[in-house]
Amino acid sequence: MSLAKTLNWEMLPEPLDFDLNDLVKSASSVIAPLGPINTFAARNPWVGLEEQPFEKVARWLKDTCDVDIYPNDSVFQSARDRGEIHQNFLENSIQHWLNSQSLELPREVAESFCRAALIQNQPSSSTLEVPELKSMAKKLNRFTSQMTEKHSVKTYSQRLEQLGRTNAAQELNRHMIKWCKLFLDESQAVWSMPNREEGFYQAWRKLVQHDPALCRKVRKQLGKLPVEADAALKEVLLSLEIPFSEIQDYFEAHFLALPGWAGMMLWRSQQAAEETSLLLDYLAVRITMEWALIKPCLPLPEKRNDKVNLEPLIAAWTEWGNLPINAWSQLSSTEIKARLALAYRFDKILCHRLLLEAWEKTYEDQLKTMITSQQPAVATENVKPALAQFVFCIDVRSEPFRRKLEKTGDFETFGTAGFFGLPIETCELGSNHTHNSLPVMFKPQFKVKEFSPGSESYQQRYQAYSSLRFTFKTMKNNLVSSMVLPEISGPWLSLQTLARSFVPRNAGRTFSKLRETWLHKPSTELSLDYTQKSETDLPIGFSMKEKVHYVQQALKMMGLTSQFAPLVVICGHGSHSTNNPYGSALDCGACGGASSGFNARVLAALCNLPNVRKRLETEGIIIPKDTVFAAAEHITTLDELRWLYVPELSVEAKEAFKRVQAALPKVSEEANAERIPKLPNIGTHLKNPKAEAERLSEDWSEVRPEWGLARNAAFIIGERRLTQDCILGGRAFLNNYNWKKDKNGTILANIISGPATVAQWINLQYYASTVAPHYYGSGNKITQTVTAGLGVMQGNASDLLSGLPWQSVMKSDEEAYHEPLRLLVVIQAPMEYVKRMLDNDHAIHQKVKNGWIRLASIDPEGHWESWS
Amino acid sequence: MMEIGQSHIFGIGFFHTSIEASKMLISLPEIFFGLLAISVLSALFLLYPKVPLSFVRLHVGITLLPPIAALVALVTNNETMIYGPLRLDSLSWLLALFVLTIGFIVQRYSVRYLLGDRSYRKYFALLTITTTADSGVWLSNDLRLLLVCWGVTLLGLTLLIRLKKDWSVARNSASQSGRLFALGWLTLLGAVIWITQTTGHWQLSLVLTKSSLVQLDSWEKTCINLLLILAVVIPAAQWPFQRWLLDSVVAPTPVSAVMHAGLVNAGGIILTRFSPLLSGNLAQIVLLLLSGVSVIIGTGIMLVHVDYKRQLVGSTIAQMGFMLIQCALGAYLAAIIHAVLHGLFKSTLFLQAGSALHHREVPTSRTNQPKPIVWTITGGILGILVAIGLWISSPGEGYQMISALTIGWSVSIAWTQLMAFGSGSIGRIAGFSLFAGAAIVYNLVHDAFYGVLQDTIPKGIQPPALVVILLLMILLAGSAAAVWLSRHRSSAAYAVIYLWLVRLGEPQSELVESHPKHLTQSFFRGGHLR
Repeated sequence: MSLAKTLNWEMLPEPLDFDLNDLVKSASSVIAPLGPINTFAARNPWVGLEEQPFEKVARWLKDTCDVDIYPNDSVFQSARDRGEIHQNFLENSIQHWLNSQSLELPREVAESFCRAALIQNQPSSSTLEVPELKSMAKKLNRFTSQMTEKHSVKTYSQRLEQLGRTNAAQELNRHMIKWCKLFLDESQAVWSMPNREEGFYQAWRKLVQHDPALCRKVRKQLGKLPVEADAALKEVLLSLEIPFSEIQDYFEAHFLALPGWAGMMLWRSQQAAEETSLLLDYLAVRITMEWALIKPCLPLPEKRNDKVNLEPLIAAWTEWGNLPINAWSQLSSTEIKARLALAYRFDKILCHRLLLEAWEKTYEDQLKTMITSQQPAVATENVKPALAQFVFCIDVRSEPFRRKLEKTGDFETFGTAGFFGLPIETCELGSNHTHNSLPVMFKPQFKVKEFSPGSESYQQRYQAYSSLRFTFKTMKNNLVSSMVLPEISGPWLSLQTLARSFVPRNAGRTFSKLRETWLHKPSTELSLDYTQKSETDLPIGFSMKEKVHYVQQALKMMGLTSQFAPLVVICGHGSHSTNNPYGSALDCGACGGASSGFNARVLAALCNLPNVRKRLETEGIIIPKDTVFAAAEHITTLDELRWLYVPELSVEAKEAFKRVQAALPKVSEEANAERIPKLPNIGTHLKNPKAEAERLSEDWSEVRPEWGLARNAAFIIGERRLTQDCILGGRAFLNNYNWKKDKNGTILANIISGPATVAQWINLQYYASTVAPHYYGSGNKITQTVTAGLGVMQGNASDLLSGLPWQSVMKSDEEAYHEPLRLLVVIQAPMEYVKRMLDNDHAIHQKVKNGWIRLASIDPEGHWESWS
Repeated sequence: MMEIGQSHIFGIGFFHTSIEASKMLISLPEIFFGLLAISVLSALFLLYPKVPLSFVRLHVGITLLPPIAALVALVTNNETMIYGPLRLDSLSWLLALFVLTIGFIVQRYSVRYLLGDRSYRKYFALLTITTTADSGVWLSNDLRLLLVCWGVTLLGLTLLIRLKKDWSVARNSASQSGRLFALGWLTLLGAVIWITQTTGHWQLSLVLTKSSLVQLDSWEKTCINLLLILAVVIPAAQWPFQRWLLDSVVAPTPVSAVMHAGLVNAGGIILTRFSPLLSGNLAQIVLLLLSGVSVIIGTGIMLVHVDYKRQLVGSTIAQMGFMLIQCALGAYLAAIIHAVLHGLFKSTLFLQAGSALHHREVPTSRTNQPKPIVWTITGGILGILVAIGLWISSPGEGYQMISALTIGWSVSIAWTQLMAFGSGSIGRIAGFSLFAGAAIVYNLVHDAFYGVLQDTIPKGIQPPALVVILLLMILLAGSAAAVWLSRHRSSAAYAVIYLWLVRLGEPQSELVESHPKHLTQSFFRGGHLR
């Protein structure tokens, strides 16, 4: 093997003449970029791995970093207890799987084995400890030749740790966590890491030789490193003798050791042009450190492809196949081979795959029954025109609210992506901070600013307000004044603490009211008209053509191109929670983890422009003169609709507005009454859901201010009439779509590549945070610490945690709330439409084929078709 | 005219309270201890799994009663009372009130914060027992009772750190803290046994009488002082025993908050209680040395580290160092005020640690505008004037010099920040109001503390002026070094100091886990798999 290694290097014409950047880039597909937590954007952690089937990735991750991405036995058990996994789907999948295998074994025997394996879970450990098992395994040893396991590439430090020789991997991680957080820090630590502006590798190289956390020998070795990161990386790869063919795998294994910090480096490298090589820097630092730490242990013993351990296979047959251990000696060798092969192939990961698929199929079946049974036989035309129309974000939390809203009056609701198709960067009044208010996979193209003619005194008040915090910080960071600070601010802080403890709801509301009264934000306008400041900056506002384009596109996407009501309300959504680092995870996912209220305002304002409407008429979209667009924000924590922008109303619109205003309190109340009992509470029955919702949003000790998008499971693309009478329980994203108005399929393609992808990412993030809370989730909220102004770590130090915290997916330490199901996309359109969409869009085709998303369609006759 | 009216009203009020007090004094301590017992019983009751979880609300309500009783006692009582093994004076009532109030706040906070946790019931029981025992420490006069209460408190805290016992990191951190606490407790035990064997009394009030103290030789005194100092610097996380506090960041947030209720700040209180015993220059110097180093290290850790909770504990180390400096300089009253206010301050900051990420934005004016020179100079002059004024008011006291420096410095910074950077008239007016408001409240609070505690807390022996000046120099040199280093960030000296501070604050290897695996494992074990 070592000969092969040297050969490998020699076979390359110039061993050092290859581009590391390409290798780093392809290796980085195993991690997802991770942005700062205060613009929490849902990320699919496996976005770069969708070329491979879900199961394959699951096996690979299990082998490389011991992470299970299928739900565990207890999750399945409780799902089955609740009747969410139907036996017949399970049976079908067993049959289907057995059909695909060629086993020289009687079918009934194989079937009963598989059935028992799926139902009984793990073989009990007592069977594994029987001495006969060991001797039988030895006897059958010659059958292992057909079954060898190929293990994926591991880092040297991992291998050393597995050999039990050092805790090198842990040490390496600890050092990397330290360097990453110091380098990436955005919290303006007073004494920041020196030389940060020169890049990660340079800053590290200059410091590490002084690091007292390393022993002198290691420090010395690290004292004479190449000046450039890629030279250092090449050198260390050579000294570690990594074969060229394995370099990418080696990088991947290093990325997966700390996917959060590496993900943050990846994100940063995508932000600024001068930091593009950050990942290479990261690897150079990491692998050089590894080399320095493990050098005394080199060379490592050869890795071999392990032979399969027969003991669990024999135990499995004892447990699930009623085959006693000593019965093996009476079997023919073909049968032994077949039985071992079956037990080997029908392993835990496969079991979990089949169970998950059966669970998903059961959910699909339930959804199908619900939707198809509610269908009116003939689609009746909407006789009564709506009084007001509401456009909501597709977010699953809109569904219950929309349902309640529609029930209270002649209100029609629509669902569309919450950024309303506007690729904008937003900038609020008095702030110099901009936010990319669009899905993370797109780049903003315009900038929209909020401004107000008389904002001078607002600015002053705003600054006076923030100077309080800044003074506090300055005094805290000064050696001398920090000694008196507790005595000055202690009384004030204690007052606040007492208020928040005794009257959490009112205290929070009073504080924010005081703040608002002091700031007294003036009414503002938006910079919608085009101005280009410089070549490099984004243009501010839209040109006339662009205005018309985006309005038209937005209206088409939401399926609102005719029959306008007098009042059309564009509703963004946001959340309100206190003392919650994950507040942004509860905001609009399509707006990069912020409220979508701003985008709603922009769209409503654009729709009201007379010349935009005139141009739209030529395009065939006729908005009546009396129709007025307004904007509002759906506060999901409170299930309340707050007006953001109400222009001058026409007579009809005024009437509609009045009716809406009258209906809203009831809608709010009913939506809360449905939603609040789902949140965990202690014993007491809820008398006033609204007050409880307000407490949840204001209480500083609340870890579950709302459930967010937990339990999301389906994405329904179709007319609202399809689901109007269904109680979807806040589990479905609803996107309006009328295939009749989409002859060439562009709208469908846009929905799939935009909102559906956002939803898939959200879904997989919830999925990943539930199945691997320690790796893809964010761990437990109560032991977290905020770090570097970027994100959270667990306990003393850990990987930068990327997903949702334990409390967002779990009801308690013992009970899960989110059901880890992969998103089911349901399209209401004829089969040809779906087929055409799949043919044209390679990405979605791949996702469906490889099991990263599930697809079904319902045709005009109401037939349900599963595409997965 | 005004004066007469006021004194008249005051006279009536005084008359009333004294009648009430004489009636209540008999029963108030009994009521208080009864309530304390009830709150412990209700915590134990909660442990019984058949009790519905909603009982926790009632339990938290019950834990509010003892601090209320302590408050009433503090307000009505102004004499020292020896009540069996207890000593009830305004200091002990104040400390009981302080400890139990933070205990209540933390329990109230945890009702929601820990909801769904596997050890929910156990947590409340531990919390109640820990804070109750802690308040017991400061009410004890009998040294045996004090030792038992202090031991229970430390044990309770160790178990609280260990709450997530499925997590190896939490276990390791708890055992590390436990070992250090045991050392601290044993030293205290040693000191106490030494004292009682020599003086023949177990009652602290009898030990500290002049006639008892003369029985101690001066070398004995010094040794006992050194033992006491060792016993207090461990819970106060002073160098070189700072590790346990830094690594206890793994504990749930409310546990970190409750540590600041008479646990980390116990040092100042113990030294105050034993103050007549404390003299001996050697001990004083040792204490000054340890706490001085801790102030520098703690502040340094706070400045270089980027984890919010780590910054907070770094600052705690520094603050506790300052408190012990106050003790060493004989300013016990100032130390108690500092301990109480810092406890409230830091526990609040811990409880709102989830908000650390918001408001990252720096106001535009701070980055762009140059400092307005006039306001900066005024700030400097104002600071100097305040400092001189404070010093002149009581030049004989050694601590006053330190106090004058810190307050004057703070005044200057606050003024510069609030006034110089205030934009426009609104900003200036608001800044000035804030400044004045803070100053007034600061004075009111300090006057109130002095009013309550003046008679109970003895004045310590004045340290030699040379020591004070040396300390002043250290503080100033530390600040100067900080400024110099932050201006020379590319120097090797900066790199070395920076990395040392990082190293001092970083957790040890076995106290870090890159991914909290216990979550998956415990879910797997404790889930619905039966």
